[in-house]
Amino acid sequence: MTSATPVSVPADVTARPAPKRPAAPPARATRASSRRRELGACGVLMTPFFALLVTVFLIPVGTAVYLSFFSDDQPGLGFGPERTVFAGLRNYTAVVTDPTFLGGLGVVALYCLIYIPLMVVGALALALLLDSGVVRLRGTAQLALFLPHAVPGIIAALIWLYLYTPGISPVIDVLAKADITVDFLGVHTVLPSIVNIALWSNLGYNMVVFYAALQAVPREVIEAAVVDGAGPVRTALQVKTPLVRPSILMVSMFTLIFALQLFTEPMLLSQSSQMISSRFSPSMYIYDAAFTRNNYGLAAAASVVLLLCTIVLSYGVTRWTNRASAEEATR
Amino acid sequence: MPDRQSRRSVLATIAALPLTGALSACGGGGGDTRPGSSTSSTGSTGTTGRTSGTGRTGRRTRITFWSALRGSQEVVDAFNAGHDTIHVDYQQIPSGGQGGYAKLSNAARAGNAPDVATIEYPQVPGFAIDGVCRDLTDLISDRLRAALLPQALGLTTFEKRVFSIPLDIEPMVLHYRTDLFERYGLDVPRTWEEFEEGARTVRREGGQRRFVLFPTDGATQLAAYAWQAGAQWFDTAGGAWNVSLADAPTRRVAAYWQRMIDDDLVHMNAVESRQSDAQIAGGLVLTRLTGAWDAGAQIQARPGQKNRWAIAPLPQWDPARPAVGTHGGSTFAVTKDSTAPEAAMEFIEWQVSHPDALRARLSSGTSSQYPAVPGLVDVGREAFDRGYYGGQDIYTLFEEQARTIREGWIWGPRMSATGKVMQDGFARASGGQSSLIDAIRAAQDGTMPDLKALGLSTTQRST
Repeated sequence: MTSATPVSVPADVTARPAPKRPAAPPARATRASSRRRELGACGVLMTPFFALLVTVFLIPVGTAVYLSFFSDDQPGLGFGPERTVFAGLRNYTAVVTDPTFLGGLGVVALYCLIYIPLMVVGALALALLLDSGVVRLRGTAQLALFLPHAVPGIIAALIWLYLYTPGISPVIDVLAKADITVDFLGVHTVLPSIVNIALWSNLGYNMVVFYAALQAVPREVIEAAVVDGAGPVRTALQVKTPLVRPSILMVSMFTLIFALQLFTEPMLLSQSSQMISSRFSPSMYIYDAAFTRNNYGLAAAASVVLLLCTIVLSYGVTRWTNRASAEEATR
Repeated sequence: MPDRQSRRSVLATIAALPLTGALSACGGGGGDTRPGSSTSSTGSTGTTGRTSGTGRTGRRTRITFWSALRGSQEVVDAFNAGHDTIHVDYQQIPSGGQGGYAKLSNAARAGNAPDVATIEYPQVPGFAIDGVCRDLTDLISDRLRAALLPQALGLTTFEKRVFSIPLDIEPMVLHYRTDLFERYGLDVPRTWEEFEEGARTVRREGGQRRFVLFPTDGATQLAAYAWQAGAQWFDTAGGAWNVSLADAPTRRVAAYWQRMIDDDLVHMNAVESRQSDAQIAGGLVLTRLTGAWDAGAQIQARPGQKNRWAIAPLPQWDPARPAVGTHGGSTFAVTKDSTAPEAAMEFIEWQVSHPDALRARLSSGTSSQYPAVPGLVDVGREAFDRGYYGGQDIYTLFEEQARTIREGWIWGPRMSATGKVMQDGFARASGGQSSLIDAIRAAQDGTMPDLKALGLSTTQRST
């Protein structure tokens, strides 16, 4: 019925509400244009990401990799003219045989072992407490916990440096009056002191992440658990916690990555404590290699080694947790 | 107990320390490292002064000079007043460890290092290897070469090439409290054995007092002790850097001090600290083992202890064959970026060898540097105010000691870093976690990868 109308009565076509047949060619056009628009939107929305990825990640990484294989070489005693040569794996050999670098890796490993469990368990416990409704003034508590995260790391380290340094710290003064002598910057206490600063800064932030995830837990699931006779503790540990597992994984991963780059806190505390060497953590080793030892090839190689460690560890954590959850799913 | 005000100021100091270091370290391409950019009178130095300086006549050649040394402004003013063809723009920079060396490295990397830079002896090989120091062999005049103490010039000469000109050479001496020595019936120790006996006496009778401080930040002090004992931490014979920090003389020195530490005969903390200042100010330490320069620093820091200190030669291992090492001392280098090396060299020569330069520096009242040009010792002897040391002729003592500086010592290519690793070990040793010799070995282990990564030939033989 309508097959001939577009040709024979063109006026009619425009008058009628959109029929099925004539819509076909424009529909193809729309699909193409919407596809074009989608691509355009993709481009617009993703350009900033890729621009930043390239300028602040790929180019620096590429430069570091390049630098790590080259060296301003002067053979013999080194007093001759410099020339840039391909050094092969020489910088890498130097880094992995440097006991001070390996020591730094050891320090960061210990730091991760103390810090990450404390952070994840602490933040989750606080989030569960807030979510359970036990806490009054929830908003105020959340703000108070989150506030330290708004303090820049360097300021936080300064504040804590003030509290840790004997002679100027009111905390040490008060403890001394109670006949307790504490050296926050001693051989065995300096790492826990750094962990404390990091916890203070980041606990609130991760707590908010967990709290948001807990808000998304369906209420009926919790109601069902309560009906089945689970108390608040059991609900928290056996119902809510497994449901926010992806958040736990994400927080652990980010905490791990930031922990491996440990720099600001020990760098500042090293001004007050000789127990923090100038090569205390791998990041400090890199800084020292570049700016004290003026050895950019070595610094670049150490950076690449640290990057590889980070990638391997992150990948390991992801694989391990994925496998664990897959096993759980099949059970 | 410090009050609020001092707490705040101490905190401000703590806050400022890392920032100055970081800023100067990162300021490679920034405006603050452009020589002379801070004042309007020197604003043109970086460009016009450089290009027109050497070429055009009738205009003063402008050169820039970086230093953290006390009295430098007075010296530069005296130079500028007496010279028509060269004008020096002086810029005070932080001392090396506080960021001065990082600033110099980064400026050189960015191609705008000053014409003349101040470098302490231990760092000269590093800057020479990095190409920051210009080879001065052909620029140095025969007159200056002859005037300098050979041991001093030896420390800045590598492969027969001179990379920096010594300003002062600082034999390590014994500063001691005359009043407290009298109270405990002590004689000035001539040997290290006598020194240890003195330390035991003070430990027995002195209560909180100790004979001396073993500085946990004192790699250069330990180097001076080892140097005196005959150690050779670095050697360049055979065209390779031989590193042997834990050689026999060093082991002997380390064992000596370890015994003193284990028997609680010494204070053990950082010397660059308020704790150490308090120990000296409070009379809790009877001696200081430092370079000759420290006589002037002491006058400025503690004017109230006038007439209580005297200076004696460093104790000896073998008094029949006296030797000392040095502690401190600076040199002047012309950098690779200088466009007026001849003018820079003329300024350096004047600064290290002209009597007016030494007079100007000593006029600041805070310096007791012992010049590397022995001909200037008489000037120093006259210009130095002896009042503080009860009239003692300390320059004659320095002169005698400088002659016994053991020849042949060589600093390593990355001495700041080597020293830092060693000091990390000293700090652990002060907590009873480690020993001095472990710290020294760790310093060697932490140095080798660095030298290898630089592409230097290295060996590790030890006696």
